[in-house]
Formats: sequence, C-alpha cells, structure tokens
Amino acid sequence: MAGLDTEDERKEELETLQSIYPELDLDPAIPFAARIELLVAPSTPLPVTFAPEQDVQRLAYLPSLRLDIVLPAEYPAEAPPSVDISTTPSWLPATAIDSLRGEAKALWEEYGGGQMLFAYVSYLQEAADTAYGLAELTLPSSLKLGLLAYSARMKRELFDKETFDCEVCIEPKKGSACYRMQRCNHVFCIACLQDYYTNCIKEGDVDNVKCMSTECGGPKKKVRLISPKELLQIPLPRETVERYAKIKRKKKMEADPAIVYCPRSWCQGAMRTAKYPKITDVSQMDDSDSEADEPVEASQPQPSTGPEKRRIGVAGMDRLAVCEDCKLAFCQICLASWHGDFVRCEPRDSSQLTEDDQASLNYIMRNCSPCPTCAVPCQKSYGCNHMTCFQCKTHFCYLCAAWLSPDHPYGHFNDPKNKGCFQRLMDLAEGDMAQGDVQFGGRRGAEQIADFWEAEAMRIQMELNERDS
Amino acid sequence: MSAGAKKRIMKEYTECMNDPPTGMKINFNEQNMTKWEVLVDGPEQSIYAGGHFKLEINFPNEYPFKPPVVSFKTKIYHPNVSNDDKGSMCLGLLRADEWKPPNKVVAVLRLIQTLLIEPNQDDAIEPSIANEYKENRKEFEKNAKDWVKRYAK
Repeated sequence: MAGLDTEDERKEELETLQSIYPELDLDPAIPFAARIELLVAPSTPLPVTFAPEQDVQRLAYLPSLRLDIVLPAEYPAEAPPSVDISTTPSWLPATAIDSLRGEAKALWEEYGGGQMLFAYVSYLQEAADTAYGLAELTLPSSLKLGLLAYSARMKRELFDKETFDCEVCIEPKKGSACYRMQRCNHVFCIACLQDYYTNCIKEGDVDNVKCMSTECGGPKKKVRLISPKELLQIPLPRETVERYAKIKRKKKMEADPAIVYCPRSWCQGAMRTAKYPKITDVSQMDDSDSEADEPVEASQPQPSTGPEKRRIGVAGMDRLAVCEDCKLAFCQICLASWHGDFVRCEPRDSSQLTEDDQASLNYIMRNCSPCPTCAVPCQKSYGCNHMTCFQCKTHFCYLCAAWLSPDHPYGHFNDPKNKGCFQRLMDLAEGDMAQGDVQFGGRRGAEQIADFWEAEAMRIQMELNERDS
Repeated sequence: MSAGAKKRIMKEYTECMNDPPTGMKINFNEQNMTKWEVLVDGPEQSIYAGGHFKLEINFPNEYPFKPPVVSFKTKIYHPNVSNDDKGSMCLGLLRADEWKPPNKVVAVLRLIQTLLIEPNQDDAIEPSIANEYKENRKEFEKNAKDWVKRYAK
C-alpha cells in the first residue's frame, strides 16, 4: 500500500463512510472500491405479481440492494464515482437500476465536485422506503418461493432482534422469546402465552382462549378464539391443542338441538354430521373458528306438507343417523337401530329400550360372559376357557368371568378350590352354542340359576294346578 | 403459586412504590405477598370524604390469569359492595370473564376510587341500596355519611 497517497481524499471519504456504515466492505485487492448491501423494506409491502399464474403477494422485505462503488483517480473534483447496482436474484427492473445509477451523477453535480458518497447511500436508503418509486412489480413465478422465503426470514430475524415489553410478566423480552398474534399483532412472551392458554384449556375454559391484550375484546365486543393451528405455532403441546379443539367441538354440538346421540348406552357418540366434522389434524385447523359462535339454527325436520301421506316414507330418509364412534345406524326419531325408510315410528326417550333392544340385551346377558375389566360381552366360538379380552387384553375365565393372572392363567382350572371351573379348561371347546347345558359361574351362572328356579317354580305351580283340577 | 406470579406481584408492588397512587396507602408483607392491605381515603368530591377504608386484595394462584379478589374490611354503605362481613365486590375488571392478564392492581384500585365517587347502579351487588341511590338520593347520602362516621373514621 506504500504507493498510495495517504492523504488521498478518496481513502478518507471511504473510511468515514465505513465508520458510519460498518457493513461497508472495502476491497483490499482493488484500491478505492467499496461494496455495501442495503436493506429493502418498503414502508408499505410491495405487491408483486408472479406470472404466469397472476398470483399477487405483498412482500415486506425484498432481497437487498447491492451497491458497488469504484472511485476513479479524478474523483471527486473532476469525475463522478462509478457505481453499479444489482440485486440477487435480479428482481429490480433495469429501468429502476438505471435511474438509481443516474442519481449518482446528478448528486455529484449538485455537490459541485465534492464528496457525495454518504448523500448517495442515504438517498438509496430513503428510496428503498418507497420501493424506489415502484407501485407494483411483475416477476416470473420461478422467483416466488425464494422471495417469499426471504421476506419471511427477514421478518423473523428483525422481530427476533427487537425487544418487547411483555404486558403479562411486565418484563422486557427479546423478540426471539416472543410471539406476535396473527390477527391483531399484539406481542407477548411465549412463556406467558403458554401458561395462559394451557391454564384455560386445562380448566376447559375455552372461551378465554383469545388474545390477552386489553385492546382486544372487552365486555361488548366479541373476540375470535385463537385457532388450533396458531396455538401449535406459539407453540403449545399437541395434546393440549387437541383437547382444545375437542372441547370446542363438543360445546358447539351440545348447543345444537339437531344433534342426536348414539342410543347404545356404552357408546353415546354423536351422530355423524358434515356440520361438525370429526377432528383429524389440529395443525390444519386455522378456522379461527367462531364458525359457530353465531347461534346455531335448529334444523327441524321439514314438516310434511299436503295430504300426500305416502311421502312420509321418503321424507323419512333423514331419520337415518350413523354414530360417528361405533358406526351404529339408528333412527333419529325412535332411537332404535335402523328400521328402513318405510316404517312408522314414535319418538322415544333414549333411556327406554325397544322390545327388540331389550330382547337383544337379554340374549347378551344370558349367553355371553363379560370381561371382568371392561365388561365387553363375549361369546366363545371355539377353544379353551382361558379368554383374552379383544378390547382390553384382560385374561379371564369364560365359565365364571373371573380375572386370571396373565402369568399363569391356567392355575385357575387346576385348583380344586375353584369348584365350578376345576378341570374344566376344555369344556365347550367346540364353541358356546348357548344351549344351557353347561353350568356357568359369575353373573351368567346367577342368571342360569335364576332361570332354573323360575322354571322350577312354574313347574311346581303347574303341578299344583293340575292336582287341583 | 408459580414463580412467575410472585415475580409479577413483586413488580407491581415496586411500581406502586415508585409511583404511589394518590389517596391510598398500600401495606405489603414480604412473607405473604399474595395478600395486600390497602387503606383508601374517601375521595374529596365524594360522600365518603373524610373516611378511611381498609381493603384487602387477595391474589389467586393463577394470577395474573385470574383477577385479584377485593373486599372491604371497613363497612361501607355502597351499591357495589356487599353489605355483610365480607364486603365483597364483583364488577367490571374484577369479573373473571372481563379480566385480562395485562390489567394491574393499580387499575383495580382506580376503579374502586371511581366507584366511590360514582357508584355503578346497573351492576349493583346490593339492589336495595342501588334503588335508594336511584330513587331517594338524600336518604342514601345520609345513610352513607352515617356509616362513614360510625365505621370509617
């Protein structure tokens, strides 16, 4: 560097500029050359149309403007600086670049051959605020993903560097520990958001899962609840968000008089309906809902109009309901299992059983052994009397419905103390034909004995009647 | 109570010390920071002027997600304060569905001062007193002043 004049005005100007913009890059290989990247953040996001899809996106940040400066020996007195402007990828139109470059010469003339680099960089920064005078931009769609990702990344990076005062813990927090609410832009620290929403959801108080800010809502205004998707972004644990979505759905369904529940007392699932689809993936639920905060209008069955009574069977089509949990097809009116369209039926209280249901229940009670853990009824089709519940995997004895130790289930059949089951492991090995010829224990055995004595009492009564006559 | 809740109460107390709200004195006990005792002066322009009312503020475990619970320890004749040995209040900010976590105790204390100046007749906990306030202001003021003399001096 010995050959360079230390008194050179150009060197001095570049050094001054670097102290103002520390990111200014001086190229040691080329004397009096500098490069700077300038942030492009228009004060109103720039609408960019991506062709050919005509997809319009508003970009808050665009890839930075690169300014390359080379100061010729005649600068500043006799010649303007040589400037080059570019963007990567190249999104700034050539006409805009030319006009920005032209401004360098204009400024140099305005300064009458004085140092003008700082003024020029300031000018470029200010011009970025109005997107260099661009009102909109059309770019090939191949740039779309890259530009969108850049804008999102810059937004995140700048947010992370900022400091916010969380109004809940009243502490200053780095942006990286904060979250900005999507709908209203209020910022809180993630820890407070997690605490608050987890607490609300734990208590089932889903109506308070909304923005915490005092500016949102109030006694009169209705505030939208936060969507499950946004809760996951904060982030809240998935189980919590699932519980939230479930409770919300349940509340809406319970408020809807058109929803009928499965008549099976062990199920009680809701009927399938397109209005309240079953929750499959909470991460896709960004309906910040209140979709049914509006009062649900009771969809009553259409009253049959006119004297044409025959139409009832057809109109009765909407009596069919299917349980979303156990898939039972049943009639919404009489709550019996589905009887087809052409049967007249009466509305029924869900606690009553129809004759058919009662008969079916009686059959189950008499001919099935219940699992001692979950009470699911089972009827053996073949094999030994050591059963494993298909539902809860409990080991039990088919004859007396006693719980068996999973480690040595057969001990039960080898112990003379268990009179009813001793050495009867293989009874009914061909399957339980429900013929009443095998003695059971437990509830089923009691039913059997009750049946026996009922029949016996009947027989004795008959005998007495015969004797009397 | 979580560490966060304690920290927040401590912060609010520090704020109250740095910028003391007028017309009241806060008694803070480090051993039990979830219970504040506040001595509120009856505002000059109100019928409660000259009286000093002892209030108790209890912070729930879920604070600031749930509102603090306020009760008058000094008996007061007021439509919005229950006329029993509890002296409880439940309106506006103090209701769980209206409370927002960024609200602070100072806001609650200010609400109480405003209510002393102008009771809220539409949200009364004591309908008979509210009715008297509406229908027979003179009688109400006489009773209220009477109680100030009897209990709040």
